[in-house]
Amino acid sequence: MTKILKIYPEKCTGCLRCELACSYMQTGEFQPAKSVIRISPFEGHTSYAPYTCTQCDEGWCMTACPVGAITINAAGAKDVVDDICVGCKLCTIACPYGTMFYDVDSRKAFKCNLCGGAPACAEACPTAAITFEEVETADWLGDFAAERTERLLVETH
Amino acid sequence: MPARHLIVGGGTAGMNAMRTIREEEGERSEITLVSAEKPYSRMVLPYYLDRSIAESHVFTATAAVLAQWGVKTLLGRRATQLDVKSNVCTLDDGTKVEYDDCMIATGSSAVRAPVPGADGRGVHSFWTLDQCRALIAQTTPGSHVVMVGAGFISFTILNSILALGAKLTIVEIAPRILPRMIDATGAQLTERWLIDHGVAVRAGAKLTAIEDADGRKRLTFAEGPEILADVVIMATGIRTNLEWLKDSGITIDRGIVVDERLRSNVPNVYAAGDVAQGRELIGGARAVHAIEPTAQEHGRVVGANMAGREVRYAGSLLMNIVEVCHLDIASFGAWDDPAAEAVSAVKPDRPAYRKLLFTGDRLTGAIILGRSKDVWTTNDVGMLKGLVQSQVSLARFKDHLRANPFDIKPAFIASKTTGALLPTTVLGRPSKAPGTTPVAV
Repeated sequence: MTKILKIYPEKCTGCLRCELACSYMQTGEFQPAKSVIRISPFEGHTSYAPYTCTQCDEGWCMTACPVGAITINAAGAKDVVDDICVGCKLCTIACPYGTMFYDVDSRKAFKCNLCGGAPACAEACPTAAITFEEVETADWLGDFAAERTERLLVETH
Repeated sequence: MPARHLIVGGGTAGMNAMRTIREEEGERSEITLVSAEKPYSRMVLPYYLDRSIAESHVFTATAAVLAQWGVKTLLGRRATQLDVKSNVCTLDDGTKVEYDDCMIATGSSAVRAPVPGADGRGVHSFWTLDQCRALIAQTTPGSHVVMVGAGFISFTILNSILALGAKLTIVEIAPRILPRMIDATGAQLTERWLIDHGVAVRAGAKLTAIEDADGRKRLTFAEGPEILADVVIMATGIRTNLEWLKDSGITIDRGIVVDERLRSNVPNVYAAGDVAQGRELIGGARAVHAIEPTAQEHGRVVGANMAGREVRYAGSLLMNIVEVCHLDIASFGAWDDPAAEAVSAVKPDRPAYRKLLFTGDRLTGAIILGRSKDVWTTNDVGMLKGLVQSQVSLARFKDHLRANPFDIKPAFIASKTTGALLPTTVLGRPSKAPGTTPVAV
């Protein structure tokens, strides 16, 4: 079994270090808007949880790519090969999890590739809310989010 | 179970079927590919048009790759007749190919509006690689390009034409742009955005003739001023390539009517992609979805069945995305269902729009517009697809989304959509990477 990112949402403090580490690894910028792991607030910003690609079995992004630009890397993660991606965005509508991203500067799709086997988010997380473990992938956030939205939902601005 | 498989059509569905046969089969079978063109991806032609990729990038399989797959190729040939009693396909050069099973994936062709001059010199379609090459040769910086038809195909090449330095005018016979992809509000926002980015848009314009005018083209309309153009692109629709099957005994409605394993009324003849009228995910009716993801999934399901597995297709989900001048426009499922309960919202300060369509407490359709650089646009695009695809019960989150159509993420996560989606695969097993089996690029 390969390692994947396991999320313990109740341990997340919302510090955003994972987003900074991720965006730096993925794009060379400390820019949370370019992170492929994203902190979601719950219950009026009193709870937080990181959300990212589950490396699903189907790999909707990978099977949708018309030029075979998404492959499985040595870490077992679905990964975009920049030189082949043309930026058509088909993967962004094929992925039903909302975990495909598009860089307007490079005109390429990008996503969580588990940093090739040493995920920066897990390393940066000070509370071990994000770990890199040999487990079956799962919906880490569903139960937590259902409970933390019972009293108050986040309002949009 | 060695067999002789015949694949008619080397587009997306054909390539996916051949690859899946090789992934699934125990013993190597014979595969014959009949294709009018060398296999390439239409999806990436806009990027060749603006020269951000080389021509070699558009091909989905070289001769060497097809040889490696063990595919016997009959390229540059069209199928003209299918004898389903004796299992023989006849080609335009008289060649006869015998098969044990066969997949029809002959796709669509561009059609031009029946207007005098529409077939003249300097009038283009944009559908095939040859048509793309012709357009590249004609579109020069400073030239005036007029696109007739404001549908998905025009919009996929809009950025490329602007990138080539041409001036662009879009004319559309319908009262608004993108009539088959988004609603009127979305169209209005898109039109405003295009005008702000220097594109001229003329909707409700009935073209009456295209004439030569001193080396240029003059377009005249039922009403309003004429337009002079250097290049005219007719993007006025597509038609499925099915005429050759007229007397074959295969049941054709809007496309070849297929069952859940994508078999026609003749059990050893499958159909896939644009020519197939198969199960639709939302509602379960049979529909033709002439879109890339349906061709991919159809091709894979047919390939698995041809290799001896019993794979049923859950149904295709209508989806489209196009980016124009860094504005993302996407729609999913039954986005124009008048029976659904619809809620929508526009951001006052920027071009951002969400329309959600509910049937009971499930999301059955959606439209989304937003700037490409807003990370939430891309995230919401995927999550809306997931909510429609999974058909999770939204329960209390339906009211939340009705009140806050932009707050999709908490509804997605807390409705446990991820958990509902994770066990879902098209072939009942994890997908293989391109390259694990002979690669499709």
